[in-house]
Amino acid sequence: MDILPERLPWFVAGPGIGLCVVALYALINRPLGATTAYLETFKFARGRRFEPWRVWFFGGLIAGGFVAALLRGGLSFNLDYGQLGEKVPLILLVPLLVAAGLVMGYGARWSGGCTSGHGIRGTSSLSPASWAATATFMATAVGVTFVLHLATGGAL
Amino acid sequence: MNRVSFLVGGAFGFLISAARLSEYAVIHDMLRLKELDVFLLMACAIGTAAPLLWLMRRSRWHTPFGGDLALVRAPITRSNVYGAAVFGTGWAIAGTCPVPALAMSASGAGLGLVVVAGLFGGIALRDRVSATRANEPSC
Repeated sequence: MDILPERLPWFVAGPGIGLCVVALYALINRPLGATTAYLETFKFARGRRFEPWRVWFFGGLIAGGFVAALLRGGLSFNLDYGQLGEKVPLILLVPLLVAAGLVMGYGARWSGGCTSGHGIRGTSSLSPASWAATATFMATAVGVTFVLHLATGGAL
Repeated sequence: MNRVSFLVGGAFGFLISAARLSEYAVIHDMLRLKELDVFLLMACAIGTAAPLLWLMRRSRWHTPFGGDLALVRAPITRSNVYGAAVFGTGWAIAGTCPVPALAMSASGAGLGLVVVAGLFGGIALRDRVSATRANEPSC
């Protein structure tokens, strides 16, 4: 099936994502966030006490991505990784991505949220902590991306 | 509650994937300030949610499955800023973040799973560090 457009425009996806934040608050009075969903899923997998709704949310994220892939022409099993995959050999790319994931996860948990928890949900509820965190990770990510671009001679 | 959570998570994951935020090139171009679509998408999400949440708070919304609405509003701490700087560094390198990495994996991209494994490790590690520090006796 190839039902979805090539890319859902920002003015459709953006309000839709905003409504997800509202729906979770309006119906179950819970804050949308991915970092804690990862953490609670990890606890669940290790047999520790966990918050079930966050694990269900985590499952939903995967299911949603899966359905979108199906509606865009089906699953595509691959080891592609855009420009980064073209420039870095797979044997180095795997540890690099594990390390980047570790850094991201450590930082998100330390900060109390990530792009969804702080960047969309926290900013929408006018939380000062989320505005500060969002400004910081945006500025840092843009800065690091430019440094990478310069350091790789424009390859990235 | 769990069913609602699964459905909202599903909608969120679907939209992230349908908007192609699960692709390295989209996030990389955003962070290089070549494409502003993702910034606009975030602004639209906040612009939609913020007034609705404000109205719900003002009307003392009673949720069907979770009692009276209580929005999370936290003061700024050093952890918010230091952690965000670390997070931003990883985000720039990987060109993806927690939800897009899941959507990437769900579409069949094997390297998305590698990022997800790293995310689990990093979140669990920081959680352990925080728990250890909380249990240390204060002088």
